[in-house]
Amino acid sequence: MGKRSRKVFEETKKNEATKELTDEVILQPVITSDEPPAKQSRWINKQRALIFSSRGISHRARHLMIDLRTMMPHSKAEPKMDRKDKLFVINEICEMKNCNKCVFFEAKKKQDLYMWVSNCPRGPSAKFLVENVHTMSELKMTGNCLKGSRPLLSFDNAFDDEPYLSLLKELFIQTFGTPNHHPKSQPFFDHVFTFSVTDNRIWFRNYQILEEDGSLVEIGPRFVLNPIRIFEGSFGGPTLFTNPHYVSPNTHRQLIRRQVAQKYINRVHAKKSLDERKPEFTYRSDITDDVFVTIRPEDNQQNG
Amino acid sequence: MVDFHHSSDSEAADSDEELQRAFAAGKLKPGLNVVVEAPKQSINNVTGMKQKLKELQQGLDWVERLDLTNPPAPPPPGSNETEGTEGSGVEETDNDFKRELRFYRQAQASVLTGLAKLHKLGIKTRRPDDYFAEMSKTDDHMKRIREKLLEKQQGIENRDKARKLRDLKKYGKKVQQDVLQKRHKEKREMLDAVKKFRKGQKDKLDFLEETEGKGKGKQQNRHGKTDQPFQPNRKRQYKNTKFGYGGQKKRGKMNTKESASDMSGFSKKINQGKPGKQYANKNKKGNKNKRPGKTQRQKMKNRQK
Repeated sequence: MGKRSRKVFEETKKNEATKELTDEVILQPVITSDEPPAKQSRWINKQRALIFSSRGISHRARHLMIDLRTMMPHSKAEPKMDRKDKLFVINEICEMKNCNKCVFFEAKKKQDLYMWVSNCPRGPSAKFLVENVHTMSELKMTGNCLKGSRPLLSFDNAFDDEPYLSLLKELFIQTFGTPNHHPKSQPFFDHVFTFSVTDNRIWFRNYQILEEDGSLVEIGPRFVLNPIRIFEGSFGGPTLFTNPHYVSPNTHRQLIRRQVAQKYINRVHAKKSLDERKPEFTYRSDITDDVFVTIRPEDNQQNG
Repeated sequence: MVDFHHSSDSEAADSDEELQRAFAAGKLKPGLNVVVEAPKQSINNVTGMKQKLKELQQGLDWVERLDLTNPPAPPPPGSNETEGTEGSGVEETDNDFKRELRFYRQAQASVLTGLAKLHKLGIKTRRPDDYFAEMSKTDDHMKRIREKLLEKQQGIENRDKARKLRDLKKYGKKVQQDVLQKRHKEKREMLDAVKKFRKGQKDKLDFLEETEGKGKGKQQNRHGKTDQPFQPNRKRQYKNTKFGYGGQKKRGKMNTKESASDMSGFSKKINQGKPGKQYANKNKKGNKNKRPGKTQRQKMKNRQK
């Protein structure tokens, strides 16, 4: 009886050992730390985007920046840059962080938000005025997506019509698109970035794909980019394109104020001109015309 | 864009000097001279941009980039949207709904083509229901969103309920009044019938039984018109119009256009027919119930036997 029980015991032990082999990966008992980690051969598109801002940024813009960082797993953060430094310093910062794309937010007067999108070592770079910012945390944006899943990028047909738009399109694809097999990315496709051109501006929307048949819900953030200039180099260099329809926010505010002032000026001018045009006598009447006018009793009755 | 005519005082001096110089040189023409801004010089270096684009491009497969360029998808057939002809830039941007719908349709078209492409490449696109991973928005945030939506829905429902109750109240009041009137009428009729019976005018007690077909089969009036509730006698109605409210003859118009052209008191037989005994024969077709002559009556009697 004892023998049999021992046999049974040994057999079961063997079975367990084989079972372990098939289910789990058996690690080496000793690993040296000098060995380099296994290379990810499937991750070819090495894009790293540096997303940061200058000082004096508003809370809305800060939340927008944070939302972009959440949406782009290939992004890196950086503390605020002093406004005293020149912009080409950013190239050095990018080099230090080993990033080849940069999204830089700049706020002027705590009101106007500018965004730079640049390909770091050699260019090109583009400066935009950001308008109509709505962040992801607004309660009307009801969609949600996996953190770090790769977005589909949807562009309007207008992006192929103009050369500056096709350049911007390529820049956006490389900056906003998550690389394939990025270590921080997640497998499935559940959201889509939309870039459209309306009124000489680029409108950005982010939708969640609810069903495969195309029903969408907005996740956010959403903003509007008004292109100002495109430079040949990164944060500098000769200008490739300036937007003729662009009006700087200062000029815009000035225009509005002038239009309002124009109302008052017009009124003053109108009054003055009326004074000048008004004749002294409306029409010349003779006093003696009244002498032979008889007042009939009916007129008297009506008046009195 | 507003055009500016520089007329502020600080610049008047400069422009004056310039004008004087131009006049001396003989460049000015007679008439009103206005300073106009030089047209803005915009840079559009197409060749430079194309070259830069070539440098930027990486030549990767579509899977690495996932970019799609397409026009907005056509709107569903039932909706009243104009596809193809979009309004001019400014008009469309002001119409928020149209604009957002256009973006939505563009995204939809991209999604459909993109997912099809991915499926062709054999890549799974749909997240299975048991796949739990970190989401961009926290669960807490999603809970708040859900609560807000529920709140909105509740608000709408409450408003609808309140409106219905208000309407019901009004309607209910009306219904109540109608029911009361009906009851009063029935009571009155019952009492009248009892009185008649007591006085001996009615011998049957059938008014005590509930008349079922009271509502459905309305008793047609002798003149062939359905009796409106509580409409008095015709004679009574005439007397009401004449003497009602203390006699309205004073305030009423008499010889009006309508009254002069009113032909209801005109009878052709009396006024247009020949004078004489003709009106004596009331029925042209012959007297009804004419009694047959002696011989006829005898015949009828014999026939019966």
